[in-house]
Amino acid sequence: MSDVLKGNFKPQNAVVVPEEKPETLEERFERTALKRLGGSIAFVSKKKVMWDLKDKV
Amino acid sequence: MAKVLFINPVVREEDVPRHIPYGIALLATLAMEKGHLVQVYDENAWRKGEAVLRQVLTADEWDVVALGGITTAYGSIKTIVRLARRLCPRALIVLGGGVLTSLPREMMGFLPEVDVGVIGEALVTFNEILAMLDSGVRDWGKVLGTISRGPDGALIMSGQRPLIENLDSLPYPAWDLFPLEEVYFKNSESLFSEEGMMAKRRLDINGSLGCSLVCKFCFHLGITGDMRYEEDEAGVVNVAFDRKGSYTRAIRYHSPEYIVKMVKFAYDKYAIDFVAFIDENLMTMDQHSGRTWLKEICRLWHEYGLAPQKNPDGTWTGVCWGGTSHATLCNPEILKIMREAGCAQLVYGYESFAPHVMKSIGKGATPASNMRSFFWTLEAGIRPIPNQIIGFPNEDFDSLRANMEAWKKLGLVVKPHFATPYPGSEWFTVYRKQIERQYQGDLEQFILDLGDASKSSAIISHNFNAVELIGLRDLMMSFNWRQLDEYERIWRINRGIPEGKPSTLYPGAGPHLAIDEPAKPSLTLVAGA
Repeated sequence: MSDVLKGNFKPQNAVVVPEEKPETLEERFERTALKRLGGSIAFVSKKKVMWDLKDKV
Repeated sequence: MAKVLFINPVVREEDVPRHIPYGIALLATLAMEKGHLVQVYDENAWRKGEAVLRQVLTADEWDVVALGGITTAYGSIKTIVRLARRLCPRALIVLGGGVLTSLPREMMGFLPEVDVGVIGEALVTFNEILAMLDSGVRDWGKVLGTISRGPDGALIMSGQRPLIENLDSLPYPAWDLFPLEEVYFKNSESLFSEEGMMAKRRLDINGSLGCSLVCKFCFHLGITGDMRYEEDEAGVVNVAFDRKGSYTRAIRYHSPEYIVKMVKFAYDKYAIDFVAFIDENLMTMDQHSGRTWLKEICRLWHEYGLAPQKNPDGTWTGVCWGGTSHATLCNPEILKIMREAGCAQLVYGYESFAPHVMKSIGKGATPASNMRSFFWTLEAGIRPIPNQIIGFPNEDFDSLRANMEAWKKLGLVVKPHFATPYPGSEWFTVYRKQIERQYQGDLEQFILDLGDASKSSAIISHNFNAVELIGLRDLMMSFNWRQLDEYERIWRINRGIPEGKPSTLYPGAGPHLAIDEPAKPSLTLVAGA
């Protein structure tokens, strides 16, 4: 149950908002690094990596 | 009575949610006053994603799903109405706000899921739509200020909705229907002044609707008398906004009593510590009132015990506040009075410190009045927020240098906006063909690309393309005079402008503003040329 819906009556169906997962250390690092992006501060956004290990040589 | 779901779409996704949507909050109160059943889902505040939005849309049998916003909310609006049409097939989907008002016919085309669009001020129109729905009739063409679809799918634009005359007849916004404690008070900080930074319980207040100025980059949402209905040669009626030689305005403001009582109400109920006036321009109202409006607001601020009492650590009791000013319309006397009543910050759209640019934008200010107001405001103890824009149609190297010189002299630390032709603005009308061409003829892509003008979108500068503007902004911010001079030399060679002639193509333009021919790359200078 959540109160994301606010009004002057009770809707028929409750809106259940899933509990937010706490921020992981990886997420915290990437968020913090992004704020200081530039110059020697560059990083890998791990969720955006498209893995490709095929040897192309 | 209708069961209404208001949804506030996501805007400025790159930032945390900071502003309760004032229009939706007012419409919610007005609908509840008429006995309608209302729920608000503030998607911009919660940002819980599609799974929660689906639950919201199926939480009840909605008669109406209503949403609106400014043009930059378009992407979110598009997502919401698509889902709403699928999950609420019998609901009437109503869209209003600046996004619809600026381009009503185009928006109804882009968003076939929308049943009724509200053009301009919705304060009366929306309840009339609900009343018609309750009566079982669906003849939207009879409700002024709407655009809807006929049985054959053709768009029906009803007559223009007059603006309400007495703003004091409006109720207070339904703040309780928005997540004040959960979201908005947590994001109270506004980095415009020390007090703004320290605010813990900020609330937005709107004291007026209107602006007497005719800045060519600005759009007034059709609620400041700026909108007219015009018929073309084919007999098709459409909205029209500012155009050279055709400017219309209505100035409306709440009484000082209404405003201060509303702030006192919010102070007592929510313990607010900061009020951000979201008015287009407080000084316009003050001038229109014969210089009585702001003085009276300040007097009442003291009388109602709202004037802040400062503590040694910078905190305060009472309510600090900030708003918008204008370089030519302010004066030292009112600024001092405002400061004594708790004004901490004033936004000035200084835009530029180049005389020829200021003369071209319709602002009614000059570099001299910019500087004068700057010092007056500082002297009063208020922080001026010196907004700057580059990329105006006649922007050139001289204007960029004039800005840098002013920044140096005044100690301004700025990252300028890019001049952006938002739909509804005069420059959108003037440059529409060039804008569409920059997006391969796809106007919707331009609208989806629009943000808060801190990144480039459609370019209207005659001299500089997007790449140049981005680079020049960087050189300006680092006061890199040497590379600016060097680039001017290259730019002149590329444009074939001989020594002794001004560094400008204006009123001509570079290939990036061509309409008919495909863009050609400009000539490149090889090393050593």
